[in-house]
Amino acid sequence: MQKIKQDEKRVLVIGGGVGGIKAALDLSESRKQVLLIDSDYAIGGLMTQLDRTFPTNNCDLCTVSPHLSATTREKFLQISPMTELTSLSGEAGNFTATLNTAPRFIDIDKCTACGECLKKFPEAVRFTPGLDPRAPTCMRYPQATPYAYSIDMEKIDDVEALKAVCKAGAIVPDDSEQQIQVNVASVVLSVGAELFNPGVLDNFGGGKFDNVVPGLEYERIMSASGPFQGNLVRKSDQQRPKKVAWIQCVGSRGINRHDVSYCSSVCCMYALKEAMVTKERFGNDIETTIFFMDMRTFGKDYEPYYNRAKEDFGIRLIRCRPHSIIELPDKSLEITYAKEDLSLMEKEQFDMVVLSTGFRPSQKTIDLAGTLGIDLTEHNFAKSGTMDPVTTSKDGVYVCGVFESPKDIPETLVQASAAASMAGTAVPSGEWVEDLSLYPPQRDVEGEDTKIGVFVVDCDGEIGQSLDIDKILENAKTNPDVAVAEAFNLSCSFESMEKIEGLIKEQKLNRVVIGSGSPRIQEIMFQDMLRRAGLNPYLLELVNLRDQNAWAHNDAPAKSLEKAFQLVQSGISGVRKAKPLAENMLPTSQNALVVGGGVTGMTSALELADQGTLTYLVEKAPVLGGQALNLSQTIEGDDVAAFVKDLVNKVSAHENIKVFIDAVIAEHKGVPGKFTTGVKIGARTEQIDHGVTILATGATPNRPAMYGLGELDKVMTQLDLDAILENDESKIKAMGQLVMIQCAGSREADNPNCSRICCQAAVKNALRLLDVNPDLEIFVLYRDIRTYGFQEDYYKTARDKGVKFIRFDLEHRPVVREEAGKTIVRAHDFILGQDIEIEADCVALSTGLVANTETNKELCGLFNLPKTEDGFFLEDHVKLKPVDMALRGFFVAGTAHSPKVIRESITQAHAVAGRARTMLANKEITLGAAFATVDPVKCAVCLICVRACPYDVPFINTERHSEIDPAKCRGCGICVAECPAKAIQLRAWEDDQILAKLDGLFERV
Amino acid sequence: MSNFEPEIVAFCCHYCAYTAADMAGTRRISYPSNVKIIRVPCTGKVDAIHLMKALEKGADGVYVAGCLDGDCHFKNGNLRATAHVEKIKKVLEDLGWEPERVAMMYFSAGMGEQFAQGAKEFTEKIKSLGPSPASQTVGKAV
Repeated sequence: MQKIKQDEKRVLVIGGGVGGIKAALDLSESRKQVLLIDSDYAIGGLMTQLDRTFPTNNCDLCTVSPHLSATTREKFLQISPMTELTSLSGEAGNFTATLNTAPRFIDIDKCTACGECLKKFPEAVRFTPGLDPRAPTCMRYPQATPYAYSIDMEKIDDVEALKAVCKAGAIVPDDSEQQIQVNVASVVLSVGAELFNPGVLDNFGGGKFDNVVPGLEYERIMSASGPFQGNLVRKSDQQRPKKVAWIQCVGSRGINRHDVSYCSSVCCMYALKEAMVTKERFGNDIETTIFFMDMRTFGKDYEPYYNRAKEDFGIRLIRCRPHSIIELPDKSLEITYAKEDLSLMEKEQFDMVVLSTGFRPSQKTIDLAGTLGIDLTEHNFAKSGTMDPVTTSKDGVYVCGVFESPKDIPETLVQASAAASMAGTAVPSGEWVEDLSLYPPQRDVEGEDTKIGVFVVDCDGEIGQSLDIDKILENAKTNPDVAVAEAFNLSCSFESMEKIEGLIKEQKLNRVVIGSGSPRIQEIMFQDMLRRAGLNPYLLELVNLRDQNAWAHNDAPAKSLEKAFQLVQSGISGVRKAKPLAENMLPTSQNALVVGGGVTGMTSALELADQGTLTYLVEKAPVLGGQALNLSQTIEGDDVAAFVKDLVNKVSAHENIKVFIDAVIAEHKGVPGKFTTGVKIGARTEQIDHGVTILATGATPNRPAMYGLGELDKVMTQLDLDAILENDESKIKAMGQLVMIQCAGSREADNPNCSRICCQAAVKNALRLLDVNPDLEIFVLYRDIRTYGFQEDYYKTARDKGVKFIRFDLEHRPVVREEAGKTIVRAHDFILGQDIEIEADCVALSTGLVANTETNKELCGLFNLPKTEDGFFLEDHVKLKPVDMALRGFFVAGTAHSPKVIRESITQAHAVAGRARTMLANKEITLGAAFATVDPVKCAVCLICVRACPYDVPFINTERHSEIDPAKCRGCGICVAECPAKAIQLRAWEDDQILAKLDGLFERV
Repeated sequence: MSNFEPEIVAFCCHYCAYTAADMAGTRRISYPSNVKIIRVPCTGKVDAIHLMKALEKGADGVYVAGCLDGDCHFKNGNLRATAHVEKIKKVLEDLGWEPERVAMMYFSAGMGEQFAQGAKEFTEKIKSLGPSPASQTVGKAV
């Protein structure tokens, strides 16, 4: 057992799921001491049990930590599994936590995870049997996510026999519970929730009928590491189902016994994912049907995912909450349901039924809240700040992930970064030491004969399912200089890495080819592995067998394998020409630039400034505040105006914040870690130096020319209505009927995404209207009501208070017209089966937010950043790096990322501040080794490179040849291609390397 | 020549087109496996010589895929690449080859679907042109 250092001040992270891991990584990356505890014997949490996750439909867990070297992790991060908090005393900044660690009965340092004990004592040895092997390995910490077994001693009769079976002598029969006390500055709670057990319901046969499974069990069945080795079969007869149905909202959004009233937020997306993956992996002829009430695909780019499910995959969608399931003699299942357009009940048979169950806080979590002394909500989730969602009722204790409210992985990660950032303010960053000195010295491979290792590193069958990896390796081995060719599973696991490291050292390999996922994501990880093995990280070639082969050519396996041969051969041929290169390190500027002075930008700036970072805040408008200035209150009833005023005061008074109003970004130059940006304020331009940049430019309220907006007097937007509510209650009192129309300008062909905020805005305003005028009749015309999470409670209240919700679809749009001075809305009522007309005193359109297209385009141009098709900033990884941008040091937060409510924007604001800290805490940044160099002998001083370089880097030096400053070169290689004398080469991308790759492609071995 | 499977090389820039290709994979949008991608930091790095060498070594078609106009990570590398491609088209014409064997394409990082479509269309085009004169003379082992 690793000893927990008791003296140092640290952040305690409770819960080792994906949120806790992210919080712990962020903190250690910011060089702050952190202790991660988990009650389980290995970390990983729920995510590791999922087969694939949306919206990418793959695992991708390996991308969580690419910027953190193993050595830094070891220095700042400690992990203690099988450990629980038993008490917390003291106060914020100086807590004492008492931790109990259960006995494992195995010495982790000795255990080799050979599996002998599991074979002999299967009942007593715990190793996530049948579950995902990623669980213990996902984070690559040899000492932390122990890749070791644990023993349930109570189930062992013969201790001596157990000891004898372990060749490593790792069994510790007298291991006992350990209790320690540690000094803790702050706490991050990331304990998640359980999934509802549908067995307690008597109408769906959960736990009773063989072929009715909850969503998570279906994931396990589909998973390669699951009970049927990834073969989709029915439990009853091991046959492949031909018809699978999903039933949504099982146990959620209900009022019956065992139901909870809230929405679990993730089930619509996971059902769509499971249905799509089913079709993709197990045959397009399997019919997949989803029974749903409202399809809640409200996340960033989730609506196109839904459209793809409908249009490309042919997933059948039935809007109905079925009453019950009956099991037939052949174990098939009969679902009885009502169709919206028919008054009759339908009966239909399915081979398998998946129950989409949602989150429930566990009793253990509720007890833990008691131990910590934090308040819970009526639903037993942590009570969090209405404006600051990661704060709890107790100072110094923060919360993230599902324990705060039901949410998906990207939002959990955002909250994790936010909680880590806020908790981390209580702990100083460790002194900075150059990480590179912590690696073993690099072996000099000069003069050695080429000795290549080819490794195909798969992840849970993502490559192996469609490509014959053995054949690929066999083919690679025909190269005389390929000394080793081996396959590994789990690219994210430290074990695969360690084994490859071992092979590199033992076999004295001097070149490595890795066939795996995309180098865009994985290169940093494998380069780090080479460093640890004592090899220069540039003696590596990555072959993208997954993203650009296995996944893209599912329809042609034989040709895909042939392509794999060629790609690997190209990699081998290319790596022969690879040279060891030194990386260019650059001290980073410690200042931050925040673009956008709305709530998001101000929150980020304050948090950075509080930690001593000089922060420049640039706002285009003449005042700070952004869109929040148009908003009077949140659905929870917070006074937005007062909040914004307070924020503006704090920002304006802060000594570390320099505010520019009426200012725009005019120019930008520099390299990652050291940028100079020109801020134009009126006629004057001020140059500022900064290392990190936060984009918080917000979004624009949409005003589509629809339903008479801008033409008819009584048609307005929800924001206009908000202003009337705030300033002119008499107008509301005079109204008799009011109609709201949802999705105005959203979820349409020209703007396919859901605007996320409009359903709650409509419900919020409906409730406020009724407060002012209880007799007002309100009709909400909607397509799907998307009041996710606890917003559902407000939706229910609105219905209870008599607000009428009438659904429409694109074929039956409402029509607004003026007739004899009256405004009339015509809508189709599906339940009545006929059109209805409502005379409205006011028509409020829920128009949502659209991207600031012009601003974003300009900024993307200046900063060289990517954006989404609908004009928002595009993050580096939609799921696992939701606020980082592809260019290092750039972060995005708030509605510049995608539409969201104010508290979600604030969460992202904290998250980016934390992510920015991770970069600022490391005083140097590596710019990589790819820079251009000039051969003075070949240089003809023609000046073409001087003219071609987009950054004006090359110059003619006193020795009369062109020279390129490596610290300024961005590594595009344009000068290389333009140089007529071929006097310039771009390191890591030299011409002979590219030509060698071409040779490899067409070589027949 | 109906079952002719052309060899196609695509030089893709790291920031846009290569990411778009990954995106196509992530979304499981299939395109012909004939297309083999070589990653470059910027399409401006793709020399006219690389294009000619690809054809000489056995490719029946080559294309360069960069960022959309105005979106180049390095300002204008994609426009320089366009110029190189145009130049090679002329050279091919002079040689009596079909200039359509080389092409320039543009994708933003999010355009996985369009990437797959582009790959498909280019492959169809090369299929209709048949094997390149160079690969016929070197007697490619297909």
